Amino acid sequence: MAVVRYGSFGRFILWILLLAGAFLCVFPFFWTIVGMTLNPNDVVRGIVIPGREFRSNFDKAVKNYNLLLFFFNSAKIALLTVVFGVTVNAFAAFGFEKYRSKARETVFAVLLLALIIPQIALVIPLFRLVSFFKLLNTHVAIILPSVMSVFIIFFMRQNFRMFPNEIMEAARVDGASETGIFVGIVFPSMKASFASAAIYMFLAQWNSYLWPLMTILGDTKKTLPIALSSMMRAYTIEYGALMIIVVLSILPVLVMFLAMQRQFVAGLLGSIK
Amino acid sequence: MNKSGSFYRYLNRIGWLFVLPAMLLFCGLMLYPILSSLFLVTRKWKGFNNTFVGLGNFVRMAHDGIFWQALGHNFLFMLIQIPLMIFLALILAVILNQGIKRYRGAFRVIYFLPCVTSLVAYSVLFRILLQSNGLLNNIFLNFGLIAKPIGWLSDPFWAKVTIIIALTWRWTGYNMVFFLVGLQNIDTDIFEAAEVDGASQRRKFFAITLPLLIPVILFSAVTSTSGTMQLFDEPNILTYEGGPGNATMTAALYIYRQAFVLNSDFGYAGALSYVIVVIAGVLAFIQIRLLGRRD
Repeated sequence: MAVVRYGSFGRFILWILLLAGAFLCVFPFFWTIVGMTLNPNDVVRGIVIPGREFRSNFDKAVKNYNLLLFFFNSAKIALLTVVFGVTVNAFAAFGFEKYRSKARETVFAVLLLALIIPQIALVIPLFRLVSFFKLLNTHVAIILPSVMSVFIIFFMRQNFRMFPNEIMEAARVDGASETGIFVGIVFPSMKASFASAAIYMFLAQWNSYLWPLMTILGDTKKTLPIALSSMMRAYTIEYGALMIIVVLSILPVLVMFLAMQRQFVAGLLGSIK
Repeated sequence: MNKSGSFYRYLNRIGWLFVLPAMLLFCGLMLYPILSSLFLVTRKWKGFNNTFVGLGNFVRMAHDGIFWQALGHNFLFMLIQIPLMIFLALILAVILNQGIKRYRGAFRVIYFLPCVTSLVAYSVLFRILLQSNGLLNNIFLNFGLIAKPIGWLSDPFWAKVTIIIALTWRWTGYNMVFFLVGLQNIDTDIFEAAEVDGASQRRKFFAITLPLLIPVILFSAVTSTSGTMQLFDEPNILTYEGGPGNATMTAALYIYRQAFVLNSDFGYAGALSYVIVVIAGVLAFIQIRLLGRRD
């Protein structure tokens, strides 16, 4: 069902449009990668021929900007959020979906209602709570509020709906415990859904900015986004080193995207089916 | 199969057990803060001291020109950027679905690439690209398109354009993937039937494709709207604290600055955030009415 004939002028225009769009999408990445090898002036001017400053830029990023520490902080926070988050939310979703009761449906409706409240309205009272418990400037303050996610519970519940109840009943007859059913049967057969949830949670935490910006005050606790934004406030900016930090903050997400496109898009698009 | 009452009670207990950890976190870190903000907004905070002001924060809000101006920027970005982005995403999706099928997979990956950048990372990149002596101005100057550098970050008008350009770069591919999925879900039989009836390409697009795509378009319009209403990272980093001179100040950024940068007045910031909650509530209502229950 080709709408535009092969070799026609219209087709040529379409190609030009597509390629121009593709160029705009890719160019900033190309410029960033080249920027890692340039001195600060050339980064700003937009030289797109690789230079020879990568080594010194990298040294600056590591020594002056503590790149490795920030990368480690970000990774630690994101991974712990994923591990706790997927476990807690998947169990909750499974409880809501496969052990239905009127009371729990009401609770679920309250959860969905809370989903409406925007982040900015939530973080202000949350900040006071966190500071009351003397958790400011700790990674716990970043991880703990992100573990429970109404969206992930909703997403996983939609997925669990497809898991046949007959299999669970058969397993019960065979003497499996309820936790055993979930861990031993449901989890292995629904790994793709779990992967989507994990990717979504990883991305949200890896990229989160507003909440860490409020709670992280000390230099050693910073995550990559916080480090990047505070670098941009400096009087003189080492753009080459900055580019290395940008690339390092994008790279894990890019690798995940290219390796697991299907789960990645499913994770982002959420409940679209 | 044991269907006795005691077994049901057992399963019910298991159900509560499974949802318990999430519920504890929900009550402690979401429900309690939400409820406590009701107390917060009736007070004026100075450091750790607070005094009761009743609805004073809301009265102050009514006279706060900068806040309403900031909220206006949210609506401005919403009204210009979202239609622009949806239009572009729709065109790209239709081209990839019907026009050019070769390399479709590759194009889809490329157009999705901007989405792998964090909001902070791409704001930083655009801030560098758009400096007055930066790459974009240099290209325009070299090609003779402009006589003097455009103040992408320093001119109140162009700074708004900058935010719109950046948002469009970051999100068009994301929406395109949505639309592409929607297009691929349309049954090809409908098109074949229309072809038999002698429908033209244009007619097929406006009579079949577009109407069937409306739910997807609405969904992406509503999600984009709620995103735009919470715009924070871009104005804080890309145009530097909502600058120049509040020209790109948004509601969320203003609230943050009230609580953390300017006055540490959590009561006032909390009261301001209620406006965003109300808007979000209205949006959610529209979403439910427009899209119905999605199951």
